[in-house]
Amino acid sequence: MGMNSKLHDYLRMAAALAILLAVFGLSSANFFTISNLSSIANQVPAAVLVAVGMTYVLIIGGIDLSVGSVLGFSGAVLGTAMVHFQLPLPLAVGLCVAAGLACGIINGLLSSGIALPSFIVTLGMMEIARGAAYRVTGSETQYIGERIECISELSVLGISAPFIFALLTVAAGQTILSCTAFGRHALAVGANEESARLSGLSTRRIKFTVYVLSGALSAMAAVIHSSRLSVADPNAGIGFELQAIAAVVIGGTSLAGGRGNAVNSFIGVLIIAVLQSGLAQMGALEPTKRLVTGFVIVAAVVLDYYRSRKSREHN
Amino acid sequence: MSCARVLKRIGLTTVVLALAASMTGCGGGQPAVDSKPKVALIMKSLANEFFHTMQEGARSHQNAHYQDYDLIANGIKDELDVSKQIELVEQMAAQKVSAIVIAPADSKALVSVCKKAQDAGIVVVNIDNKLDEAVLAEKNAKIPFVGPNNREGARKAGDYLGLRLRPSSAVAIVEGVPTAFNAIQRKLGFEDSMKKAGMNIAASQSAGWEMDKANQVTTAILAEHPDIQGILCANDSMALGALAALKAAGRAGHVQVVGFDNISAVHALVGSGEILATVDQHGDKLAVYGIEYALEMLHNKSVPADKETPVDLITADNFH
Repeated sequence: MGMNSKLHDYLRMAAALAILLAVFGLSSANFFTISNLSSIANQVPAAVLVAVGMTYVLIIGGIDLSVGSVLGFSGAVLGTAMVHFQLPLPLAVGLCVAAGLACGIINGLLSSGIALPSFIVTLGMMEIARGAAYRVTGSETQYIGERIECISELSVLGISAPFIFALLTVAAGQTILSCTAFGRHALAVGANEESARLSGLSTRRIKFTVYVLSGALSAMAAVIHSSRLSVADPNAGIGFELQAIAAVVIGGTSLAGGRGNAVNSFIGVLIIAVLQSGLAQMGALEPTKRLVTGFVIVAAVVLDYYRSRKSREHN
Repeated sequence: MSCARVLKRIGLTTVVLALAASMTGCGGGQPAVDSKPKVALIMKSLANEFFHTMQEGARSHQNAHYQDYDLIANGIKDELDVSKQIELVEQMAAQKVSAIVIAPADSKALVSVCKKAQDAGIVVVNIDNKLDEAVLAEKNAKIPFVGPNNREGARKAGDYLGLRLRPSSAVAIVEGVPTAFNAIQRKLGFEDSMKKAGMNIAASQSAGWEMDKANQVTTAILAEHPDIQGILCANDSMALGALAALKAAGRAGHVQVVGFDNISAVHALVGSGEILATVDQHGDKLAVYGIEYALEMLHNKSVPADKETPVDLITADNFH
């Protein structure tokens, strides 16, 4: 994809977000305030990290259904390490990331090493990691308190550290995707795995790396999630995988692989977050919220279908 | 695939299945002494702390009274897995247990199978989530409910909050799953108390029992209604989510939060007053109350009637 069409894509996504903001801004007097917009920004970092990982997974033509459970499990490890074993924060974070990495490594080995369908492998991991989260915490929410809140309270020029970290992750994710050999190879694997292999790429290694990355990002999301809520909740991240997939797909990443963009996934996460906050602020009922969110997802995919068909006809 | 490989794979599958079966094999290991009644406890999601505690309470009760009865405890994967719970009731009835104590995942869908078990001569006791009156009447079934009055519990927490707010302050309610009986009762209880205290309910939204969603909903409510003075949450997980939203908005300490359930994660917060109050319906004893009632019914062959169990308000004052 050329530089021009990529810029065009960003503008299109940003315009969609702007329209949404305008609609809610008009419907509610208190929506368009600095404090409200920054509170929305503070809610998204965990989802952004997971969405960047999911973008890569979808690009290689896979899927990772375990992200929510891995978030729950690595958060459980973090909470138990800090509450039960009184470990210092850096060590607990290290264990948390290790837990996410371990899940990612297992996903990667099974879906690239012996080429099992990632849908099944990560579906299994979704159950395993959730079970492990309950086991580690004894099914009890662990209250951590101030020792972890410091992460989300850290801020630079009024922008919270987790949000900055999320922005950096998006920037790194997109740079790797468009400017490095690894990124191009990942796109090639997703577009046509067989021809990528025939042209000499180590498709297994690329796929393995992507699943490990997804696991690690889920664990980092768990740290941010726990610091925002001051607790490690064994139920954290239930349904997160579908939310991440929705955001990434709204951002125009193809479920069929070979095409994707981390920046657009980021805007996709923002669109869903703005939608949910705006609807809650309007006091919309639960059925309405679900109906509207569902329609937006479907509409985004339909638009994307026509757009990509048009660009194919162009070529 | 070669023959040997197929055999190997079948062998492996068998081992995996056997392992899985032994892991899920539901505490049925007690020796079967026929004279002792067998009580089947059928729970909702054991992943949920509340039901986990309930089951642990039942287990330790059985350990202390092992000469009186045997216990078979089962739960389902998540609270929406209604058909699995129906299967569990059928299984237990087929095993000819003496009594079934059940926390129904759905207050309507479980009525029919419970009635069938009762007709087969099994004592059935309903705990936690009350079976629907209308459906019970339609099936001509009488199943005693042993459990707390959720509306009364919510009223207690609401009354306590009402005393601490100036009249006609704005408050918000964070509801549970809107279709759940408990959620509806708690919401009604909160509304009762807020109306009595003359408060203005500025917003009332569901966060589906979840911490994350409660955080998001509370953030939005605070933005829309900056004058909110109190937030009533239908469970403690959501209270934690609301508290985090208050902290992020710099409103912690200025807005009072009440929860429900008294889970361990809120103990310290209630003690320090960061959460004003929660309600303890003695989750660890709920299943035990049901079991004791079932044993009593087996013993006396008594006519089933509902029985209310205690609900207590927990605040910094009576916090231990």
